[in-house]
Amino acid sequence: MIDHLTLLTIVAMAMVTYLTRVLGFIALRNRVMSPMVHEVLQAAPGCVLIAVIAPTFTSGHPADLIALALTLFAATRLPILPVVLIAVLATATLRWLSAS
Amino acid sequence: MTEPDLTLPTTGYRTPHNELIRGARAALPVLLGFIPFALVLGAQASHKGLGVTEVAMMTGLNFGGGSEFAAIELWTSPPLLLVIVAMTLLVNSRHLLMGATLAPHLSHLPLRKALPSLFFMCDESWAMGLADAQQRGRFSLAYFLGVSLCLWLIWVSFTALGAVIGPALGDLRSYGFDMAFAAVFLVLLRGMWRGVHAAVPWLFSLVTAGLFHLLIPGGWYVLAGTCAGLVSAYLWART
Repeated sequence: MIDHLTLLTIVAMAMVTYLTRVLGFIALRNRVMSPMVHEVLQAAPGCVLIAVIAPTFTSGHPADLIALALTLFAATRLPILPVVLIAVLATATLRWLSAS
Repeated sequence: MTEPDLTLPTTGYRTPHNELIRGARAALPVLLGFIPFALVLGAQASHKGLGVTEVAMMTGLNFGGGSEFAAIELWTSPPLLLVIVAMTLLVNSRHLLMGATLAPHLSHLPLRKALPSLFFMCDESWAMGLADAQQRGRFSLAYFLGVSLCLWLIWVSFTALGAVIGPALGDLRSYGFDMAFAAVFLVLLRGMWRGVHAAVPWLFSLVTAGLFHLLIPGGWYVLAGTCAGLVSAYLWART
């Protein structure tokens, strides 16, 4: 038996999230964008992605920062799978070394 | 004598089915980052008293990892509905912008196709869909859905699994899986790289988000960073 308020909270979360997904699209659908808006929106994907991972850059743990630097270096020249593997292994190893 | 059947797909022709599979395959490396986080989220949720059904409902209907971690962090019994919904809105406000950037690619579709597809838009599927469109000159909805559905399925099933086996897991993040997200995002950013000039707004976004994360508690940093980046892009475009 699911508690009513829990159910209501989950449904409300889902509705708000879905609205964020469709409203931006609906607002700009069938609209001719000025070159300025177009240029600003071109920068949007990168700005969103880097803001989401910003906390990784400010963690302040030397082990994490070195691992991040290695990951960044790998990301400039390797395909996605090796980059992910290097990131996880480097982070785990460096944390283990710094803890011992 | 029969004419050769010209409707047969020639080699290399992209059917929606092929595109769906291509998207799902492209999503596989991303799963390495998804699975540990899904297990951690499920485990934390079960620790807060949520059952498997509730966890699967939340992650299946909401499908936004950041907002779900925030909600579980804030979860009390009974839950504070308004606080959790406001936090969800804040963390997911970036979707508004993401949806807007998809508008030119999806506006030829009828709404009955576009609106359900947008339900599955997450950071990764959105960025991969756009990167693919840039490479091939055309946005492929089936590829986007292939990525999205694969990620959705794994997210829901592994958060549910996390709720079941959670207490036995310990903190998976300490093993280094948290860096998988940064890795995926950095590779996606490399794909968007258009020279130093175009990347200046990213730097503003990164610095602002980093400062907000250090100084201001809560989920404000993504919104603040993105806004700073866009303002600088606007000023940059005017000069």
